[in-house]
Amino acid sequence: MRELFLEIAGNLRNNKLRTALTGFAVSWGIFLLICLLGAGNGLMNSFMGNIADYITQTIYVEGWRTSKPYAGYQEGRMVELDETDVTWTEGPRWAGTVGNVTRQTASTGVTFSLDGNTVAGQISGVFPEYREQNKTKMYAGRFLNPDDIKERRKVVVLSLAQAKELSPRDPEALVGKWVSAGTVSFCVVGLYYTDESNMYRTCPIPYTTYKGIYDTSDKIESITFTVDGPETKEEYEAFENEYAGALRLRHDVAPDDRRGVWVENGYTDNMEMNDAQRIIRTFLWILGLLTLVSGIVGVSNIMLIAVKERTHEFGIRKAIGASPAEILKLIISESVVITAVFGYVGMFLGMIACQIMDKTVAQEAVDIGVTKIQMLVNPTVGLDVAVEATILLIVAGTIAGAIPAWKAARVKPIEALRAE
Amino acid sequence: MLIELNGINKTYDNGQPLHVLKGIDLAIERGEFVSIMGASGSGKSTLLNILGILDNYDTGEYWLDGKLIKDLSEKQAADYRNRMIGFVFQSFNLINFKTAVENVELPLYYQGVPRKKRHEMAMEYLEKLGLTAWATHFPNEMSGGQKQRVAIARALITRPQIILADEPTGALDSKTSVEVMQLLKRLNQEEDITIIVVTHESGVANETDKIIHIKDGIIGEIEENKAHTAWDGSVMK
Repeated sequence: MRELFLEIAGNLRNNKLRTALTGFAVSWGIFLLICLLGAGNGLMNSFMGNIADYITQTIYVEGWRTSKPYAGYQEGRMVELDETDVTWTEGPRWAGTVGNVTRQTASTGVTFSLDGNTVAGQISGVFPEYREQNKTKMYAGRFLNPDDIKERRKVVVLSLAQAKELSPRDPEALVGKWVSAGTVSFCVVGLYYTDESNMYRTCPIPYTTYKGIYDTSDKIESITFTVDGPETKEEYEAFENEYAGALRLRHDVAPDDRRGVWVENGYTDNMEMNDAQRIIRTFLWILGLLTLVSGIVGVSNIMLIAVKERTHEFGIRKAIGASPAEILKLIISESVVITAVFGYVGMFLGMIACQIMDKTVAQEAVDIGVTKIQMLVNPTVGLDVAVEATILLIVAGTIAGAIPAWKAARVKPIEALRAE
Repeated sequence: MLIELNGINKTYDNGQPLHVLKGIDLAIERGEFVSIMGASGSGKSTLLNILGILDNYDTGEYWLDGKLIKDLSEKQAADYRNRMIGFVFQSFNLINFKTAVENVELPLYYQGVPRKKRHEMAMEYLEKLGLTAWATHFPNEMSGGQKQRVAIARALITRPQIILADEPTGALDSKTSVEVMQLLKRLNQEEDITIIVVTHESGVANETDKIIHIKDGIIGEIEENKAHTAWDGSVMK
């Protein structure tokens, strides 16, 4: 092995230009592959990060107007869910699939006022789980807690945008202050962060408090729950159809009346996002591999020319006793050594480029009006990719060397010796 | 008998068939110093290539040291060339990017001899040929005669049965030519190596003990030349 390596080292040293050109082709290919994968990862991280804010992975069920007549009722009837639906959802029938169940009351429009400033809001009774399920990000203070529910506290969580209206100079100071909402006063316990669309005007208060003040019935607006179990989209859809169908029948709604009882799921969205992620990743790899192929073709090309140039030398080697296998071994090893060494260099430079991207481009956020997004988040490649790329390199080197090597090994010594 | 050829035929087929060797019968004893002489196109180089297992033949039999050399795999052929035959070429055929000593070592590399051992042996042979000072020089830094001596050292290093020399003096001036032929003669006498020289020069052939004339692919006269009187010096190269 050492003998072969010394032989190769000598050959490469004595053909510096060729070695450099071949090396450049490989380094460049790998460099681009790593940069591409890094930038791709960055884009994907950014994309996923931005979308993850909206994907909840939960099932949301709400009653609405029926769209077809059923069981003696005409279409257009308003369906209202109630507490028994929650108990039923939590019940044994769905055990194992349905996880954590929570519910939300309808909402009531109020005007909050403090020291002459006013802002509109929609008060809705919720449970602490609301925060997790709606991906609410807290800006200041806290969200509702179980004690608030138990003690029916008159507390409210406002959005930052609303807080800015009520307390323009120092929105944060609003936390702990009492604001009036019509005839009732609420203590602001926290502010949640909203994007600049100002779409979220829901002001969560404890479920029990809402039921005590605004609506004493057992009607609810919606049920939200997590599921575990379904692994494919098909499995999930089967579950959803069964669940929603049964729920609709409870309210004398046609089992396929999607509008009568509306089900919205973040679960398949999440799966779709994973699919999308996989597709993008595959696509990036294909692009990267195609780049690498051009590198391999480059190496192969140069090796072909080199082999042609060296035909006479191989003739000499054969005349003094080199077998075809020796020639094959020599060329393929040369090719593998070149690709491995220069590939490593390219990979290293690619990693550095990724780091530079991370420190520069990735730090800039682009303002898209509604919100600010980072175009690239952590645009780097992991060790696993580096290892894969290394294996790829060795394979590539072998392929690049194989054809020229086979050609050289096949030439009869007498023909090789005649070549100039 | 070291070499025995029975009815060797060889036809090249490049577009139209060219019958180069037309039934060659030849026997060469161990320790002989023979030249094969003929004009260009006589088939002498083809014959040498067949003897050196660099080329194959169509019909007939070639026995080398009791082994039938026919339909060998490339690997076997390479092994026989390596162990039994040493080549000396007109154009030296040294590898340009290897030093003299590395060139001489190369046949041993293919035998799997360890690096240190083969370096020692190569230095020994270079010394024998008076090239110690040139060991680390590259071929393009040496004169023709020096290059040919390096090539001879390379041919000798595996202790082959035969040395095949294809126009060994073809690229050398007359003074160096004489030196190279004297060297081959000395190797034949002192080391008892069988040497076959292919040439078209009477002066070169005259240095050998036996001259085999070949013409149009057929062996003509075989001249015993122990006294080296076959050539009167009238035709200089």
